[in-house]
Amino acid sequence: MKKVIVIGLDGFEPKIAESMMARGELPNLMRLREQGGYSRLKTTASAQTPVAWSTFSTGANPGGHGIFDFLTRDAKTYLPLMALSRYEQKNAFVLPKVVNMRRGTPFWDLLSAKDVESTILRIPCAYPPDKVKGRMLSGVGVPDLRGGFGTPTFYSTRKDIHGESSEKAVNVSVADGRVATHVIGPRDPKTKSDHKFDITVEIQQSEDKIIITSQGQPDKLEVSLGKWSKWLKVKFKVGMMQTVSGIVRFNLRQLEPEFELYASPVNFETEEPLFPISSPQEYAHDLAMKIGRYYTAGMAEDHDGLNNERFDEASYLDQCRTVLRERRKMMEFELGRFQKGFFFCLFDTPDRLAHMFWRFTEPNHPANKGEDVSRYAKVIEEHYRECDEIVGEAMKRADPETLFIVLSDHGMNSFQRGLNLNTWLHDNDFLALKSGFKPGESGDFFQNVDWDKTKAFSLGLGCIFLNRKGREANGIVTDGEMESVREGIVKGLTGLVDSDRGAVAVRTVARSEEVYRGPYASEAPDLIVNFSEGYRVSWDTPLGGVPRGLFADNTKKWGGDHVIDPALASGILFMNKKFSAESPGLMDLAPTILNALGVAKGDAMEGSDLIS
Amino acid sequence: MKILAFNLQGAKRAMLLADERLENLRRLMDMGCFGELEGDPREWNVLARHEAHTLTLAEFLAQAGKDVAMFDDVAALNSKLAFGDWDGCQLNASFPIDGGSADQYLDFDRGLGDALQHLSDDTLILVVGELCFVLVASSNPITGYQDGSSLDLTPTVLELAGYPLPANIEGKSWVAGMELNRSSGLSDDEQAMLRERLSGLGYI
Repeated sequence: MKKVIVIGLDGFEPKIAESMMARGELPNLMRLREQGGYSRLKTTASAQTPVAWSTFSTGANPGGHGIFDFLTRDAKTYLPLMALSRYEQKNAFVLPKVVNMRRGTPFWDLLSAKDVESTILRIPCAYPPDKVKGRMLSGVGVPDLRGGFGTPTFYSTRKDIHGESSEKAVNVSVADGRVATHVIGPRDPKTKSDHKFDITVEIQQSEDKIIITSQGQPDKLEVSLGKWSKWLKVKFKVGMMQTVSGIVRFNLRQLEPEFELYASPVNFETEEPLFPISSPQEYAHDLAMKIGRYYTAGMAEDHDGLNNERFDEASYLDQCRTVLRERRKMMEFELGRFQKGFFFCLFDTPDRLAHMFWRFTEPNHPANKGEDVSRYAKVIEEHYRECDEIVGEAMKRADPETLFIVLSDHGMNSFQRGLNLNTWLHDNDFLALKSGFKPGESGDFFQNVDWDKTKAFSLGLGCIFLNRKGREANGIVTDGEMESVREGIVKGLTGLVDSDRGAVAVRTVARSEEVYRGPYASEAPDLIVNFSEGYRVSWDTPLGGVPRGLFADNTKKWGGDHVIDPALASGILFMNKKFSAESPGLMDLAPTILNALGVAKGDAMEGSDLIS
Repeated sequence: MKILAFNLQGAKRAMLLADERLENLRRLMDMGCFGELEGDPREWNVLARHEAHTLTLAEFLAQAGKDVAMFDDVAALNSKLAFGDWDGCQLNASFPIDGGSADQYLDFDRGLGDALQHLSDDTLILVVGELCFVLVASSNPITGYQDGSSLDLTPTVLELAGYPLPANIEGKSWVAGMELNRSSGLSDDEQAMLRERLSGLGYI
């Protein structure tokens, strides 16, 4: 083969795709199915974007690349950490470096070594980007300017305003039709205050809009009621030497009785990003010069803004479409000059949109609270049709010498009920609170947990770690006791019933060595909880909370999820060539792509070529 | 706390503290305090022996039982720093009477950058030029521009580095009576920041 083109559709659910195709919808995917074939695609343990795409990249199980969850824990402090990358700083006097925690060998390294070029757009877990022959733009894992997954700001004249989850709230006042405020930039580690960029908002009540005046670009930016603004480029002076620039968009929520304005997380600006987001480094900006400014943050979609009701579904949908459109522009621009080698482009929106709109497909979802769901019930399917159109566009570039692949990393399912895993561990004597404290009296970050009496704790999206002696700071479980502790948890959780609903919430619990092997398997959680459909770990668990009660209704707008038993969360795989494997998995893609391009697979790759 | 001192005799303030290309020194200025010193440069430098004053910083440390190793070139300094078994190190360099060319300052900054690679957080860094200084230490509560007398620099450094002030010392510590920064567990602010950074994930 001369070319391999891979279109990634994050979180594209096979059951929806299959039923749409059965109705004759998704014509381009159907054509692909006829040309070559279609199958569900086995995902990873756990079924999460960074884990799954890292397995796609390296052809190895998570034990071979070291990404097991979005989060991991610092064994010294029991605190949650971002698992995808780390800022390493030798000491306080030198600049920090970003280090990618996805290890193993991605297949594009093997292609580069054989002088085969790659164009890779928005691949997760490549921050900082891999040095590739060709070009790469990093995806999920790229932070916002404050160093997190995304910190929006909400401005309001309401005195009682406070920030929800990751959000910052700014109380403002209107004087002479103007609001003087600021965009919030990076935190200064020394003074612990936020760098700010001044803006002045001029309210034009009669036209339902505002004008934001600043030293940024453009100097005057219009924002209409209920709509997204264009990008504003802002600059923060973070030291005598250094300014950092970023881009931000606004959504005007209301003008009266209260003034309320939402600002997106500040994304890296491509011309001078805080840390490189592309390889070669200037590629991200070259691309912006061709197609215009684009979202650079890994989590481009403002799901938090919708979750916190800072704007409505229509605005979120509009934003997802903007992201889809700009990604399509990237794809079309690059496919336009793609001659040979490997091409990849990931579309994240099928995932981000379905997380937030899933509840509309289930009238009984606790998040609906009696709301009429008909208006948005078909949004996911509409979005799938738009994705199909994009697939059709990309297929035009496939000639007989092209292997053309469409895949998703995992599916999507219902999330109606959450299990408080730490509370279960507490109630079953695996986790102890300090004397006098009960569940519900312990905040995030394992506040009031008595480590000297705790055998196991849960953190991340369904991971359980044992409090191992010699590994965790206050570990108490010895090597000899480890198996009996795990046995107790596996027995107790397997088949756990949610008594309010009379349904099984937990199907199975996997021991680390049953699902992971390889050089990084020792970093994995000790146990992985495999939830049933409709269930997930509760909102209070991932950061180390021990709330009251075992189960909780999920009343957030984020009503769909996929971090369940991987056997229930398969993705999709379409190829334009016949493929035979019985149950293809994400691990098989790297060998398949390499073989198509005439390059031998790597030693650590566990899958096999699906075509030969 | 370890002490790393750079004694840049004759280095001019206008070059040392104002050239934006000296990026390592600039970063240190951002982290700590810097400024002008009053006094006569021929009579007073805390890092070099002069007739007119009592003891140098190294001599005060010697009184406290700590050795300060002296170096004339960066390579030798760096191998000592990399080895790690030191309490104090001092690099001595001379700049020409006219202040020297910008290249000499850039050279110094590159050498400084190399030296910084070998440090632990628990290090106080002092750069002294002609009547000017840069001072960085995690315990230092003073940031930004600071001016004062050359006499005050020694007691300030000793106090920040955690040494008792000798009775015979001249000058007055700038941080006398101030609460020194001490790293402790995760503060409320750091917890809030961690929560904010992770919550944007959506899944949590």
